[in-house]
Amino acid sequence: MASFVPTSDETLEDLRRYTEDRLVDVACLDCLAQVRVKKNSDHQTSVQWSAEARADCQEFQRRGQAPGGRDVHKPCSRLMASIDDAVRAGAVPIGAYDGY
Amino acid sequence: MTDTRMLDQGTQPIRFARGWHCLGLASDFADGKPHAVQGFGTKLVVWQGGNGELNVLDGYCRHMGGDLTQGEVKGDHIACPFHDWRWGGDGKCKEIPYARRVPLRARTQRYETVVRNGQLLMWHDPEGSAADHELLPPELPDVMTDKYTPWSWHTKEINGSHCRELIDNVADMAHFYYVHFAFPTSFRNIFDGHTATQFMESKGRPDTMGGGYGDENSTLKSVATYYGPSYMINWLEVDYKGFITEVILINCHIPTGPTSFTLQYGISVRKPEGLDEKTCAYIAERYTESFGDGFLQDVAIWENKVAVQNPLLCEEDGPVYQLRRWYEQFYVDVADIAPEMTDRFEFEVDTTKANEYWHAEVADNLAKRAAAEADAEAAAPADA
Repeated sequence: MASFVPTSDETLEDLRRYTEDRLVDVACLDCLAQVRVKKNSDHQTSVQWSAEARADCQEFQRRGQAPGGRDVHKPCSRLMASIDDAVRAGAVPIGAYDGY
Repeated sequence: MTDTRMLDQGTQPIRFARGWHCLGLASDFADGKPHAVQGFGTKLVVWQGGNGELNVLDGYCRHMGGDLTQGEVKGDHIACPFHDWRWGGDGKCKEIPYARRVPLRARTQRYETVVRNGQLLMWHDPEGSAADHELLPPELPDVMTDKYTPWSWHTKEINGSHCRELIDNVADMAHFYYVHFAFPTSFRNIFDGHTATQFMESKGRPDTMGGGYGDENSTLKSVATYYGPSYMINWLEVDYKGFITEVILINCHIPTGPTSFTLQYGISVRKPEGLDEKTCAYIAERYTESFGDGFLQDVAIWENKVAVQNPLLCEEDGPVYQLRRWYEQFYVDVADIAPEMTDRFEFEVDTTKANEYWHAEVADNLAKRAAAEADAEAAAPADA
């Protein structure tokens, strides 16, 4: 059970809308990782990873699993380049729908 | 049905977060006396035993409810002021001086502790699991050596807000302009496992006299990571007129009740080379003051706002829903942690339009101020 409980069904719909809507699959060009991407504008990007993609990412493997350093919190440059490629190819629509 | 959007204030969670919580500087507890810390809906007693160990127990004696924080440290144990029952750091009653034997069931709530970066951390879990040392915040190299100024540590009680309000800031780009008087020029988030990070670059607004983030002569590069639900390390690189200072800000809190928490923050500054101790201490104090002011700016908002489960977002806002989804993992049983709560999520906010509008507004404010000053000057000779 959720700990912060909404009192309206519309809130659950908002939750779904903001976290799940319009995510597009993008595969990394260098490894097996596949993520879901949304772009509200040229400069805005959301990247939703899964545990499988996280494990597939070679760059994250190299950086190691230890959360000690600050490096693990940076994006994978290869995946970001792959997303840019997908955007150029028109595979990721750009634009916000009423703020989400 | 109307088109009017309703604020869903939701209900507060009935439990407190699982994870490591910082109680303060370890040295502040190391005087052989019992200390009281409000936390997790009760009062905790913290003391250092003769063996040097720092211990945390529920503050109330399981015998007749005496207040252990008003007791005495005797050897390694805390003695209740009511009937002198002696409790050990492992939660067991060790001795009742007037009794033939100690009841077998004489166990109280104890909390596992770790000293990290000079701070006392305790593990809290409503399910009663053993402390998970994998989830501790990292050790900060060189801090607590003469390369850094000692922690300047501060505490502030917050009433009327759930501590999630504080967490929400991680994803809140625009409040840096309105509340902290800075232009956030770059803003990104990454949530991954038990960590949530905010990357921000900002520049102070020239039209405000705000301290903290708001000095027009300073630009800031900030990386701030929550390690679990309550302990954030914020690495700050402040460029003040070309003079760069590395600042480490710890921002942590202890929930005290359903809508109250104790905010704690500490600052340690890498001593700039070639400066004497006095100047370094002065710089550290200035940063402590200005980031302290920054927290007070937030507090003023929290104390007057309502809780909202259904924030309405615009394109320039950060990923508050995803942040809260991440935060939820600390409030459910471990068995109920859903993959999406811990799955990695990255978000870059588009700050270009926002900064365009803000720069226009600031230019307008400066023009109005200049005009007002010119008017005042023109009027002055007539008054003389």
